[in-house]
Amino acid sequence: MRSFEDDPTLQELLSADQLQRLNRALSGLCKEPVTLSEHKAGDSVPVEFNLERVGWLSGGGSRDEQLAAAELVSFLMMFVAKYRLAANLHHDTTEASYAELQRQNEALKASETRFRELSGKLQQTVDEQVDVIRQTQQELFESARLRSVGQLAAGVAHEINNPIGFISSNLRVARDYVEDLKEIAPDTPANRDLLQDFQELLTESIDGTSRIASIVADLKTFSSIDQADYSLCNVNDLLQSAVHLVQTEYSHSLQIIERLNELPQVSGHPSRLSQTFFNLLDNAAQALRDEAADDASGRILVQSQVQGDTVRIVIQDNGCGIPEASRARIFDAFFTTRPVGSGTGLGLTVARDTVRAHNGNVTIDSHPRTGTRVTLTLPVKGS
Amino acid sequence: MPDFQADDNKLTLKVVFYGPALSGKTTNLMQLHSLLNPERKGELMVLETRDDRTLFFDMLPIGLRGNSGLDLRLKLYTVPGQVQHDSTRKAVLSRADGVVFVADSQPSQQDNNATAFGNLEENLEKVGLDIDTLPMVVQFNKRDIPGVVDEQELQHRWASTPWAPLVMASALQGRGVIESFRTLLDRLYTVINEEFTLEQQHGISRHIFIDGLSASHEAEHAKL
Repeated sequence: MRSFEDDPTLQELLSADQLQRLNRALSGLCKEPVTLSEHKAGDSVPVEFNLERVGWLSGGGSRDEQLAAAELVSFLMMFVAKYRLAANLHHDTTEASYAELQRQNEALKASETRFRELSGKLQQTVDEQVDVIRQTQQELFESARLRSVGQLAAGVAHEINNPIGFISSNLRVARDYVEDLKEIAPDTPANRDLLQDFQELLTESIDGTSRIASIVADLKTFSSIDQADYSLCNVNDLLQSAVHLVQTEYSHSLQIIERLNELPQVSGHPSRLSQTFFNLLDNAAQALRDEAADDASGRILVQSQVQGDTVRIVIQDNGCGIPEASRARIFDAFFTTRPVGSGTGLGLTVARDTVRAHNGNVTIDSHPRTGTRVTLTLPVKGS
Repeated sequence: MPDFQADDNKLTLKVVFYGPALSGKTTNLMQLHSLLNPERKGELMVLETRDDRTLFFDMLPIGLRGNSGLDLRLKLYTVPGQVQHDSTRKAVLSRADGVVFVADSQPSQQDNNATAFGNLEENLEKVGLDIDTLPMVVQFNKRDIPGVVDEQELQHRWASTPWAPLVMASALQGRGVIESFRTLLDRLYTVINEEFTLEQQHGISRHIFIDGLSASHEAEHAKL
């Protein structure tokens, strides 16, 4: 492309018509006709404009006439060229501006597309967040409900504790009285049967009260309503009460093997530890139920032992295991594979958070259809 | 970028007078037109102006022939200084071989000088030229006006730049105009000679280049 500043040729300065007219006008002024053309011919003189030869002038009556005509043409050319230069420059800058505008337009379009995508993504993120909030709200509501139910249970347990105490002690006294009655009452077969039956009734009742007492104790340990802060806990006791609670939950159908070794006391939050143990046992029980094919073979092993400065607790089942795909997310809050409403997706999250709060560690080993082993380590107090 | 046409043995160079509005770029060119008497000199083309302000550009072609027949042309351009004519400035600046930056010496115009210099730097980059290697002269014009910024202060301010020393001028009175131009020719020759071996191929030495293009009527008179 020619730039605006390139020296113009005669053709560019004048159209054929204009050149003809100029030739006619010049010829009118001279004695003989003159011709301006781009090419040198015979006796022609050069016509220069701005150091550039734009053409040749031939004809004319004399050399002087030729030179005068050439000078006149040069003079005219300056104005034509001025206009041409300005016009070319204007054209060049307009084109450059237009190209620049188009570039900006393209850039604008690109950024608009980007923003649209971004806004789409943003909408999606907002939707996701709204879902999370909605679910969290649901969970919160549910956990608040569970907590208040737990508190109610603990309160009731506390209230039951006293009457069950005196019922239990009264029953024992009553059983002693039956022994006394045996000696006083006439020894007839009817009396013997009656007293024997009476004693058995009392013994069963005493068993019943002690079962109630142990459930109450478990509930109290579990909710630890009166132990808000860290204290020294007996991990084995907590484990046992969690086991009892799970058994109660599953109507004593679980086969739970306890291998609890003597442990030093651990500084911790008893209710949270209980909750953790319960959650893990409940998971294990669920895993066995899911594997349901052969109920009799499902077992949960609860193990505790000292290992250096730590207490190590293992809760292991031979249930369905955790599928590979879920394994990375098991500690995520609200991640659950259970049907809606039956699991909060918080069990392992709570377990992990609790263990971390105790400066401990939790690891999970799982193989689908083989089982899952959860290992907790808690530092012994003072270590 | 020098435009060399081997067929015509013609080398065209382009020098642009740049600077803030009303700093005297056109006056520089007009003075050169009337003061210079180079081997060849064309018409000064003052394109459209409004209220004495350049709208497009002004152009003065001068020339010199080498002993090889080389047709060496130098086209001197001014740009419109007003901010709104930036696209015109850019178009004129493209393919420049040298720049004379005409600054205004009045204290009130120092910000405009800086803005125009920044604009020059920016536009040079846009048209693919490097301000650090482009032959350039910085002229502080209007020295005739009372109360202008002190020369020493200006020289000191620019001392660490590649454009020191500055040339002081009063274009209106014709002072410093040819000096600025000669300084530019000197710097331009170094670059052009490197590329086109003017001296060896065309017999154009630095001396011939500068004196041939900047010969003035006054110098002629002095000789007589």
